Amino acid sequence: MKNEKAKVQSSVNGILGNFVMTRRSFMKKATAATGTAVVLGGLKPSLKALAATSEISADEMGEWIASTCQGCTSWCAKQIYVIDGRAVKVRGNPNSKVNNGEGCPRSHLGLQQVYDPDRIKTPMKRTNPKKGRNEDPKFVPISWDEALNTIADKIMELRNNNETHKYMLMRGRYSYMRDVLYDRMTKIIGSPNNISHSAICAEAEKFGPYYTEGYWGYRQYDVTNSRYVLIWGADPVAANRQVSYYTSVWGDVISRATIAVVEPRLSATATKADEWLPIKPGQDGALAAAIAHVILTEGLWYREFVGDFIDGQNRFVAGRDVIEEDFEEKYTHGLIKWWNLELKDKTVAWAAERTGLSADQIHRVAVEYAKAAPHCISWVGGGPVMQVRGGYTSMICHALNGLTGGVDNVGGTLQSNKEYTKKFPKPDDFMDDIAKKGKKHEKIDQRGRLEFPAIKSGKPGSAVVTNNAADGILNSDPMEIKVAIGYMNNFAFSCGQPERWERALSKIPFLVHITTNASEFSWFSDILLPDTHHMFEKWGYVKAIGNGYRHVTLMQPLVKPVWDYKIDETEIPWLIAEKLAERGFDNLLRHYKEYKDPETGKAPTNEKEFALYALKYATQNLWDPAKHKGGDKINGWKEFLNIGVWNSDPYPYRKKWGNMKTKTKKFEFYSETLKSALKKHAEKHDTTVDHVLEVCQYQARDEKAFVPHYEEPFIAGDEKEFPFIFVDHKSRLNREGRTPNCTWYYEFKDLDPGDEIWEDVAKINPLDAQKFGIKSGDEIKITSETGSLTCKAKLWEGVRPGTVVKCYGQGHWAYGTLAAKEFGKVPRGGSNNDVIPAVYDRLSGSTVRHAGTRVKIEKV
Amino acid sequence: MSRYAMVIDLQRCVGCGSCSIACRNENNVPDGIYWSNKITETVGTFPNVRHHYIPTLCNHCEYAPCVRGCPTKAMHKLDNGITMHDPKKCIGCKYCEFNCPYGVIYFNWKEPHQFWKSNKVLLKGGTSSPQEEVEKIGAKKTPYFNPERGATLPASRPKGVVEKCTFCDHRVRKGLLPRCVEACPANARIFGDIKAPDSDVTKLLGKFRPFRLREQLGTNPHVFYVRDFNPAQYRPTKGGV
Repeated sequence: MKNEKAKVQSSVNGILGNFVMTRRSFMKKATAATGTAVVLGGLKPSLKALAATSEISADEMGEWIASTCQGCTSWCAKQIYVIDGRAVKVRGNPNSKVNNGEGCPRSHLGLQQVYDPDRIKTPMKRTNPKKGRNEDPKFVPISWDEALNTIADKIMELRNNNETHKYMLMRGRYSYMRDVLYDRMTKIIGSPNNISHSAICAEAEKFGPYYTEGYWGYRQYDVTNSRYVLIWGADPVAANRQVSYYTSVWGDVISRATIAVVEPRLSATATKADEWLPIKPGQDGALAAAIAHVILTEGLWYREFVGDFIDGQNRFVAGRDVIEEDFEEKYTHGLIKWWNLELKDKTVAWAAERTGLSADQIHRVAVEYAKAAPHCISWVGGGPVMQVRGGYTSMICHALNGLTGGVDNVGGTLQSNKEYTKKFPKPDDFMDDIAKKGKKHEKIDQRGRLEFPAIKSGKPGSAVVTNNAADGILNSDPMEIKVAIGYMNNFAFSCGQPERWERALSKIPFLVHITTNASEFSWFSDILLPDTHHMFEKWGYVKAIGNGYRHVTLMQPLVKPVWDYKIDETEIPWLIAEKLAERGFDNLLRHYKEYKDPETGKAPTNEKEFALYALKYATQNLWDPAKHKGGDKINGWKEFLNIGVWNSDPYPYRKKWGNMKTKTKKFEFYSETLKSALKKHAEKHDTTVDHVLEVCQYQARDEKAFVPHYEEPFIAGDEKEFPFIFVDHKSRLNREGRTPNCTWYYEFKDLDPGDEIWEDVAKINPLDAQKFGIKSGDEIKITSETGSLTCKAKLWEGVRPGTVVKCYGQGHWAYGTLAAKEFGKVPRGGSNNDVIPAVYDRLSGSTVRHAGTRVKIEKV
Repeated sequence: MSRYAMVIDLQRCVGCGSCSIACRNENNVPDGIYWSNKITETVGTFPNVRHHYIPTLCNHCEYAPCVRGCPTKAMHKLDNGITMHDPKKCIGCKYCEFNCPYGVIYFNWKEPHQFWKSNKVLLKGGTSSPQEEVEKIGAKKTPYFNPERGATLPASRPKGVVEKCTFCDHRVRKGLLPRCVEACPANARIFGDIKAPDSDVTKLLGKFRPFRLREQLGTNPHVFYVRDFNPAQYRPTKGGV
C-alpha cells in the first residue's frame, strides 16, 4: 500500500513539480517555462498556463481548476480536482458570489459523464441509407477529415444551388460562445433557420415579468431578506435555478420567512415549506386571482408602490366596479382596470372550487403573504406556465409582486445585474448576396404566423417555437430542409410528442449531430461528431444571477482528453469554415479570423487558437484592467483563468421603480406593452386581437386580453376515458436528460421524494390506486391521446388524487448501455414526452409540459 | 488527542444527498454500498403530508458493537474516536455488520467496480468499453478513482471484506474536513473535536438538545442531530373536541 502511494505521489510530483513551493514561486518557475512545460508536454499549451496559476495545497496530490457546471441552468461556478490530467472531484468555486462555493448533488455526476465509455470517440457515418426508428443506422467510424469534407460538400451544394435557406442549425445546451455556430455561421451560409431549444425550457416564465415589468429574463429572489416566499411550480432546492445558492440559505430562509409551495405533488422544496398547496393542475391562475382579490378587498396592498384611494377609503368590494379616478397610482399602471376586468369576482370561495384547495388555506396564504409586503416574493416557476394559456398565468402570478411592492425590492424579486461581456464581430460584411437572400426566408418553426404570435420582448414572431420545427420540416413548410446540424440537443427525446421528430429527422437528407453520446437524435443522423464535455473539455463562458449578483463563469479544457473530441461552438465551426474556404467559399473563415487575441492582436490560425481567442475576445472587458467597467477587478487573462469567475456589483434595489421597460415605465396591471404587441401581430395579419386570441386558443376577449387573468386549463383527453392529469417534474439528479447513463443516477434516484433507486416510477395517490387495483411495484402502462409509456407504479401520499406524477429523465431508447434497456430498441422506463402532446402556449411560443394531457393507467 | 464528532443540522439539510454522492466519489465506494446514507419517511395523508430526511453514516460510537464483536480486531477504535477498519485483518465473518444497530456496515459480496471491468462496446469502433476507458485514462478501478483515499485504507476494498465510513480519516489527518462535510451545500454538517470547548461542534451541542439514533442502546454515538428537517410554522391552536 505504501509503495502504491509512493508511486502515485512521485508521478504526481512529476506532473506538478515540487509541492512545497509557494504559489508565487511555482508561478515564477512556470513562467520561466522550466519543469512544467516538460511534464505537461502531452497537454495543450493553454493547460501549461493553467497548472502555473492554480492553487496547490501542500497536502494534496492534485489541484483545483476553475470551471462551470451546466447540468441544469443554474450555471454554477465550479472547481474540478485534477490529478495527473484526470478529473477526480467537483466542488463549488468559492470565488463566485452567486454560489459562494456551494454545489449540489447533480454536479458530481459530471464525472460519470465525462468518462462515460458510451461517449462517441470518433466521428461516425451512417451506412444504412434508410432512416427510421426501426432502422439501425449502422454507424461506422470515419476520420475528422472525411466527416468535415462531407459536411462542407453538402453546404456548398446548397450555396451553388442558391438554396442556402434549406440549411438548419438546431441548438441544445449552449454557452455564450453559441453565436459563433448558431448565429454567425448560419447567417454567413445564408439561412434564417437557427432554431434554439429555448421554448422547451421555460420561455413562458419570462412572459409574465415582461408584460408587467418589462423584463424578459429569469428573476433572482432575495430570499434571505424575505418574510414570505410564495412559490409556483418551482423547486429551488432541487431543480433550477441557483439550486446551490438556495440550498445554502434555505435553512435560514425557513426561519425568517413563511414558505408556501403551490404544486400538485410534494416537491423537494415543499418538504421544507410551511404551506403546501397541492393545487389541481392548471388552476394556478385561479389561486393567484383570489390572492389578489383578498389583498385588495382587505386593503393589504403596498401603498408606497401601488398608491391609494384619494380619500383613503378602500372601495374594493367583491362584485363592485371601482371608478378609476378615485385611485391614484404611484409606480403601477391600470390597477382599477385590472380589478374591474378580472379581480372583482374572484373570491376565495370561487378559487377554492376550482383549485381543490381549502378556502381557509387560500385566505391564510393571501393575508400572510401580503402582510409581509414589500419583503415578499411571488416566485413563478415552469409548472403553472409551461401550459396551454400559460402566458396569462405567468402574468397573474407575477403581478402579485406588483401589489406587494416586492418587485425590484429588498426581500423581493430582482432582475439581473449588469455585466460587460462583448458580442462577437458582426457578420454583415461577410454575408454575400446568396446569404442575404437566403436569410430573408421565413423560419422553419413558423413563428410569427397568425397562430404563433411568439411575442418575445414585445416583438411578434421573435420567440422560437422549437417543437413546431418538427412540423415545419415534416410539411416542408415554409421550406424543405436539406442539410441540418444539431448540437447538444436531443429533440427526439426532449420535446413533447417526439414521434414527430423521429419522422421529421428521418426526412432530412443530410443530418449532422454534434454530441457526446449517440442519442435518440443521433439515431436519425448521417454523421456524428464527438463533442467535448462542457465542464471538463471546453472553452466557454456563461452568465447567471443569484444572491443579488451576476457572475460570468469560465469553462476550460482541464483534463487530458481520452479521445478525439472537438468543441461544438468554436473548434468545429472553424474546421468547417476551413473546409468551405478550400472549396472557394472563404467568407466564414475570414469572419472567424476577426476574433483576434486581445493580448497579442494575433488572428487565429487554427481551431484551437480560435476557441481560446474567441473566449478572450468576448470576456476582455472583465479581465483587462484597461477596459474595466464594473464588478470585480481582475488583473489580466491569467488571473481570470485562475479565479474562473467575475462577479458583478451588488444589486441596486428599487432603481427600476418608475423606470421599467414597459410602455408606461410603470409596473403594468393593465399591460399597454402587451396590448401594443398583440395589436402589432393582429395588424400584421390584417385581423383583430380577438381573432388572434381565438386562433391561439385563449379565452380572453376585448380588454381582458391586456390584464393578467385566469384562463381555464386546456388539457387534452376526455375525463371519462383518461381519468388522471399527468404531472411532470424534474429530478435533482438530472443533468438535463443526460444522466440516465450514469450508475450514480440510479443509485441515488430516491433523493427525489417519492422515487425509488434503479426504477422509473409513476407516483399515484393510494386512494386512486385502490380504485384501479394498482399496487406499488406493478408494471403499468400510461396512455394519453398521443402516446404511451411503461413504468412501475409507486403509491405515494405526496400526490394529489386525480393526478399521476412522474419525473422526467428516464425512458431513453438510445443514449447508452445503461440509459436504454436495449440500445436502439427498448427504453429503460418511460419517457414523459411520449404521453405529452405537442401543444403550445402560443403567445410565448413555449412547448407545454405541464397540465397538457389526461392519461389512463393500466396494469401490464 | 481530539475526539471527533459530527453534528447534523436537520433544518439546514435539504435532503439533496450531495453528502452521499461526494462520499461515493471520495472513498471509491462501489455501487450498492452506501457509507453515507439516509432514512426517509413520508408522513401523513394527503393533503397533510410531508417527506422527512435524516442523513446517516457510521456513528463512530464510543462503545461500538461492531468493534466489540470483531473476532480479529479488524474493526477497531482510533485514539481520535474514529471507528476504523483494517481489511487485512478482516476475515469477512460479518459479525460487525450484524452487530451494528445502524445498518451502516456493508459487506463486499462482489469484486468492486464491476461496471468498469466490462469489455462490452456499445458501438463497434465508435465507443469504448468501460475497461478500455479506464486503461486509456491510466486510472485504477474507475476513471475518476481517488488515490488519496489509499493513504490509510486500500483505496478500493476487495471482495470478501466489509467497509464503512471512516469520517474521512485520510483527510482529517491532513487537516481537511470529511468530504461529506465539505460537499454539503447547505452547511448542514458540522465536524470537529467534541473535547475542545470552543469547537463549533461543542458550541452547537450546548445550544440545542441533540438527539442520536437509538440512544437507548448505550453505544454513545458521535453523530448528533439538532433541529428539525421541517420546522414549519402553523397558527396556534388548542385543537377541539
